[in-house]
Amino acid sequence: MPEMGFVQQLGIGALMTIKVAVLSYLLALAIGTAFALVTLRRRLVVGFIWQVYASIFTGVPSLLVAFLFFYAGSGIVASLASLVGLTVTVDISPFAAAVAALGMVYGAYLADLIRSAIQNVPPGQFEAAKVLLVPQPATWLLVILPQVLRLALPGMTNMWIVVMKDTALISLIGLKEIMAYAKLASGVTKEPFIYYVLASVFFLGMTWLTYFVSRRIESWSERGYKPVVKQEPAHAL
Amino acid sequence: MNAVTQIAVPSPVRRETPAAVAISIRKLNKFYGGFQALRDIDLEVGQGEIVILCGPSGSGKSSLIRCINHLEQHNSGTIRVNGTELTHKASDVAQVRRQLGMVFQGFNLFPHMTVLANCTFALRLALRLPAAEANDIAREYLARVNVQDQAAKYPSELSGGQQQRVAIARALCLKPSIMLFDEPTSALDPESVGSVLRIMEDLAATGITMVCVTHEMGFARRVADRCVFMEKGEIVEEGTSDRFFSAPSTARLKAFLQQVL
Ligand SMILES: Nc1ncnc2c1ncn2[C@@H]1O[C@H](COP(=O)(O)OP(=O)(O)O)[C@@H](O)[C@H]1O
Ligand SMILES: [Mg+2]
Repeated sequence: MPEMGFVQQLGIGALMTIKVAVLSYLLALAIGTAFALVTLRRRLVVGFIWQVYASIFTGVPSLLVAFLFFYAGSGIVASLASLVGLTVTVDISPFAAAVAALGMVYGAYLADLIRSAIQNVPPGQFEAAKVLLVPQPATWLLVILPQVLRLALPGMTNMWIVVMKDTALISLIGLKEIMAYAKLASGVTKEPFIYYVLASVFFLGMTWLTYFVSRRIESWSERGYKPVVKQEPAHAL
Repeated sequence: MNAVTQIAVPSPVRRETPAAVAISIRKLNKFYGGFQALRDIDLEVGQGEIVILCGPSGSGKSSLIRCINHLEQHNSGTIRVNGTELTHKASDVAQVRRQLGMVFQGFNLFPHMTVLANCTFALRLALRLPAAEANDIAREYLARVNVQDQAAKYPSELSGGQQQRVAIARALCLKPSIMLFDEPTSALDPESVGSVLRIMEDLAATGITMVCVTHEMGFARRVADRCVFMEKGEIVEEGTSDRFFSAPSTARLKAFLQQVL
């Protein structure tokens, strides 16, 4: 039988997992959207910055990125600050390192996803909005975004699941999330099976919840489109 | 006696001297990279005039229409719409587009909005009208194009002909004085073509100015005041629709008409 104290700790860890996953994903969405928009038009400088960013953050494993941020983060921030003549000493917490790492890594993937979704919105949609004199912000928000969302949703859902699962690795930099507590409980009670199963059940539950919610959002985003026979979403990486 | 009747019955040529100029195009050139799509185009469209553009595919008809509403930027020459010169300045572009309604070959309706929302969208966001007023205007124009019963549906639930009529209503909601059509019936199944052409004929009779690219020569003959034939980026021949069809003067137009008629 699991001991209630450890189960409680697992619960606290689970909340931390959700917190890190949600914040990382929001950061990834922000970075992804920004890069998608600025790289829509091929411009040399922006394109180069993007290439460098993408090759670093899609090439280096996310755990390694987190390690780098955690152990070298304060050094990086200090030297960046000294470039502009400031002396800054910051302590990078495991939490901040985890969110920054996952956000920046998956921001690179989301940028590609979002950019190609934007490019797959028919150009006629932009043209119709232009000739109807609809202001640009309204065009992006009310004409383009809903169509981008529809196209990008399956990929975005998968990406969310990957981010969530990647938080489990991040326990290695000392983040007190569900994996860390499961390991702790297993070590103390010498009953690893039960706590790892509980942690697995948590991730499974989150995945199911994700699919349930994403179905809802997808069917809403499909409003107005002819129903098509859809494949089950491919399993996350 | 004979002479008197001739004086009493004016020649059937419509609007020989247009009251005012709606669109005036001078020495217009348009390049895509190194490729010249329009070459020294001169064209004047009077207010209330119905002008049909025709010509083989790739002759620059769409480019010309799209330059008029600045979906493409012209490289040289001038375009004036109701007196406003179309420069590449945002304020001029907006001023010109305010005069124009545009209907695309592929409808370009917003797929995630209902028919009614498609029509009210610009009224609310561009003209900032309150929802109730926008709805009234939209319903009025949807009724004019005979799709009032479909207002709550999404575009994909409509036939092609109905979708194109919604697109026409959507453009008319902004009360443009000039309507531009780029092959409005080319993407339609044959049964739907008639319903759209009828709407356009009704529209032509209201006194609105129209510039229309089409291969529907029967329609052109019925409604056009003037037909313009383009080839390889140039206007080869233009004339009243009677002369255009019955007595084309260039060999190229003759050959074209033989192909499409
Ligand atoms: N965006 C574009 N980029 C490059 N070439 C274009 C573009 N649009 C049109 N063209 C070329 O310009 C010519 C005229 O095209 P278009 O105006 O669409 O002709 P039409 O409408 O008469 O078929 C064609 O040769 C076409 O390939
Ligand atoms: Mg064309």
